Amino acid sequence: MLGEHLKGNVRFLESVNSWEEAIRESAAPLLENGSITSKYVDDMIQNVNTNGPYIVVVPEFAMPHAKNENSVEKTGISFLQLQEPVMFPDDKEVKVLFALAAEDSTGHLDLISDLSGVLMEDEARDELKQAKSEKEIIDLINSVE
Amino acid sequence: MSTSADTVSMGGGNNSPSIRAKVQAFGGFLTNMVLPNIGAFIAWGLLTALFIPSGWMPNEEFAKIVGPAINFLLPLLLAITGGRMVGGQRGAVMGAIGAIGLIVGADIPMFLGAMVIGPLGGLIIKKFDGLLENRIPAGFEMIVNNFSLGILGFLLMLVSFEFIGPVIEAANNGITVAIEALVATGLLPLLSLINEPAKVLFLNNVIDQGIYYPLGMQAAAEQGKSIYFTVASNPGPGLGLLLAFTFFGGKTSKRTAPGAMIIHFLGGIHELYFPYVLMKPLTIVGMIGGGMTGIAVFELFDAGLVAGPSPGSIFAYLGLTPKGSFIGIIAGVLAAAGVTFLITSLILKMDKNTEETEEENLNESIEKSKAMKQEGKEVSAASEQHTTQIEKISFACDAGAGSSAMGATAFRKKLHKKGIEGIEVKHYRIEDVPEDANIVVVHKDLLDRAKIAHSDKEIITIENFLDDPNLHGLLERLENVSK
Repeated sequence: MLGEHLKGNVRFLESVNSWEEAIRESAAPLLENGSITSKYVDDMIQNVNTNGPYIVVVPEFAMPHAKNENSVEKTGISFLQLQEPVMFPDDKEVKVLFALAAEDSTGHLDLISDLSGVLMEDEARDELKQAKSEKEIIDLINSVE
Repeated sequence: MSTSADTVSMGGGNNSPSIRAKVQAFGGFLTNMVLPNIGAFIAWGLLTALFIPSGWMPNEEFAKIVGPAINFLLPLLLAITGGRMVGGQRGAVMGAIGAIGLIVGADIPMFLGAMVIGPLGGLIIKKFDGLLENRIPAGFEMIVNNFSLGILGFLLMLVSFEFIGPVIEAANNGITVAIEALVATGLLPLLSLINEPAKVLFLNNVIDQGIYYPLGMQAAAEQGKSIYFTVASNPGPGLGLLLAFTFFGGKTSKRTAPGAMIIHFLGGIHELYFPYVLMKPLTIVGMIGGGMTGIAVFELFDAGLVAGPSPGSIFAYLGLTPKGSFIGIIAGVLAAAGVTFLITSLILKMDKNTEETEEENLNESIEKSKAMKQEGKEVSAASEQHTTQIEKISFACDAGAGSSAMGATAFRKKLHKKGIEGIEVKHYRIEDVPEDANIVVVHKDLLDRAKIAHSDKEIITIENFLDDPNLHGLLERLENVSK
């Protein structure tokens, strides 16, 4: 399920200048394929400004997301890997971002469930940080599922 | 008899979670099942004392209530309370359903039975609900819940009518026969050998509400009164003991005993005299002597009470004394006090030389008895936590969709891995966390918001939704509780 959704939504970057840019870059595939509007991207950034960097769910892994206020067209998720970590507020380093867009609060739970399964495994986290291609990422995720 | 004294001192010095603490916790469980219903027992007792043929003002019409009240009302109340303690409101319903099968299937008032079937019914429905948890499709909860309870209750009703009832009736008759044999031989006073040391170790509720009260209710239903209510609750011996300390004790006990006496004798809180016995364990001999005397006198006068005096105060005694038993009851209480006073005074006088250390001793044994009581409470608190405390854990975040969902999913997986069941873990927007959630888990950045919305709940903060030390702590706690 998670693997399916990530197809075409996986990106790799050398570095970014700010955590805001990291969120924008991570959400770019969803914006491009029309899953979300640009307001959703702004909301994700605003969410961190308001509530703090709690979207860094595990050290080095962030899951940017926000409430759907007519800003999500379709449930989706995208992946961004950074070579150089970016600093989130409170000095939290992040190397991998999963931007999450959910139409409602239940439809995406399979995605979340799969994602937590992956992130709970130490080895899988290491591989997510080091993988070089979309295929590697998706194979890894499918293997954990 | 000196062996009894030894038992006391050994029990007092014991500080590991002992068998005593467990028995005491079990007693606490029984007490919690009986105590909320004491009012109904007293109502029944008054009704009986007044209106049965041998009562103060016999009245055939009013007396019609006596039978149904003792056969149905009182056991059902016990079963409902017992069921609720284990399985919440659904447990209460299940306990009542089971109890009615017992009641109709048996020829005796089913007090012991109700105290077994109530918690059992609660346990059954709780386990069953645990199995179905999270497996009921949305929208079907009501129909599944109602029919599961209905069908299981239907089965429990039949099983308790056919099988459980007869077993409990047989066990019940066994105990009754044994104690009646003791009565027949005139050896009933020997019960004091068990009662008095057990009381000082705070096991009074186990023996009183677990054994003597149910037996007493049965006897009272037939004869309008029962001596069993008096065998362990007589306030006489404690009065005698405290009097002896008032006159012949050391400085500290002379000062404190009179106050304790009032609370004990008039208020019925027997716990007040326990420290004095623990301080001079030999005085248990006086307690046993007084207890035996009391029972012997009650027997001699064929006296009894109509219901369990709870608490065991002289007022409760007199209020529950039926017509014709007043002389016997008063004589029994006074004789017990007198005998205990004499024996204890003798012991104290022979023991004068230790007076200087007495002050410390009393304080020490007050501490000791507090600790003993506490230990029992902790054991029962731990088991209550298991049943009522942590059933719903809510992960919360700003939107209630992202990180909280991830945290909840991951935590459910961990619970599953550890084999811990019966705990609902869900995710919510902070403000939408339901009222009955026991624990709220939020990211530490959201703590302030969570505090505003849920000041009454335990809030656990985390920084890592999948692998936080605080989640480990919570997991460990749940693991310990579920053992």
